Amino acid sequence: MTPVSARAGEAGRAGDAGIVAPDRLEGWIEGYGPELRRHLTRMLPSEADADDLLQEVWVRAMRKPPEPGPGSNVRAWLYRVTTNVALDRLATDSRRCCALVGRRLELAPEPASAPDETLRALSPAARFRVREKVATLPPKQREAVWLRWVEGRDYEAIAARLDCSQASARANVYNGMKRLRVELLDVWNEENGR
Amino acid sequence: MTGDGCTYCEDDVLAYVAGELAAEADLEMSVHLGDCVECRESAADFKALEPIISECCRDEAIYWHTFESPFGRMFVAATCKGVARLTWRSLTEDGFREWIGEQHPGRPLIRDPEALADVERQVKEYFRGERTEFDMDVDLGVLSGFERGVLEELDEAIRFGQVIPYSELAKRIGKPKAARAVGNAVGANPVPIIVPCHRVVRLDGSLGGYGGGVKYKERLLEIEGREDLLKVG
Repeated sequence: MTPVSARAGEAGRAGDAGIVAPDRLEGWIEGYGPELRRHLTRMLPSEADADDLLQEVWVRAMRKPPEPGPGSNVRAWLYRVTTNVALDRLATDSRRCCALVGRRLELAPEPASAPDETLRALSPAARFRVREKVATLPPKQREAVWLRWVEGRDYEAIAARLDCSQASARANVYNGMKRLRVELLDVWNEENGR
Repeated sequence: MTGDGCTYCEDDVLAYVAGELAAEADLEMSVHLGDCVECRESAADFKALEPIISECCRDEAIYWHTFESPFGRMFVAATCKGVARLTWRSLTEDGFREWIGEQHPGRPLIRDPEALADVERQVKEYFRGERTEFDMDVDLGVLSGFERGVLEELDEAIRFGQVIPYSELAKRIGKPKAARAVGNAVGANPVPIIVPCHRVVRLDGSLGGYGGGVKYKERLLEIEGREDLLKVG
């Protein structure tokens, strides 16, 4: 693995700013392509999806290459991009989206592919249900989740707003998210008699 | 929570999804998500939850702020639509949070001095006699349609320094016999001073009641140059 990593690193030196140089990308594809494809096939239900998504990985890698520098680990970074691409696919998979929101029929009949479309398809009833679930969180968790995911604040800012430590801000976000996951799945399971 | 032989917990998965792990741990978790179905499902759920919450709850927050005023400590709360509460009841911060939580149950309550700095500025200018009308949106969503109609008419028609009897206001909204109901609507005003319920008086020229206490109504009418009304009462 070492020679490949070295080559992949060297090849990119010239084009570090902005879009990655083609020869650097080729080095990555050659060096890491096979193991990333295996990683994708483990994560996804179908092999065809894996090939699709591997292309997506290279596109993302080209558009936003890792920061160059002594600490940069290209392999770890590519794994993260790949895992994220796969999780995005799983997350927007209409089944999981429906499951989390509540009721299959509340979504528009046409399955939406992009995440935004899936979200726009949420009915007023489904939105109400999500708000209702967020409303039942204990106040600190509700506020922490809101600040983190709606306002996109970091833990320092959340801690300042909630007048608590950063560790406690983080714990409130995490506990709120865990509870929402369980509750939104429960609604769906109840309605489907599982 | 985790599959056979899986040593990770949901917090680890959340930290991964949020991009909070150090490089080495991040790589380990990436690889692990290829192996462990349960962690993968929870990661996908958290990924799905984030935009859903953001999409469904973005308008839910109530922002609040507190500042000193000539009436004492003032608390203000706003929704995305506008200022929803102004009060100078003697409350602690916790007391205010509790009270606002009862009025708007289940909404995230976010302290945000920056977002409400302009409200503070305008209210202080009013107290100093430097402002005769407020330039801000208000959210009267807690009221009934009738109450809202009364307060909107009041806000629209009765300017700084003017007063109107309850019965006259009832006529203006086309319900001349509803003076008492109009009085109740005025009393329900969640944003006193900003929506000028202090400008509604009795037909005989006496001041009538005021939610916060009639001495505050007198002070506000003084600020607006209507000392003439105080002598009658």
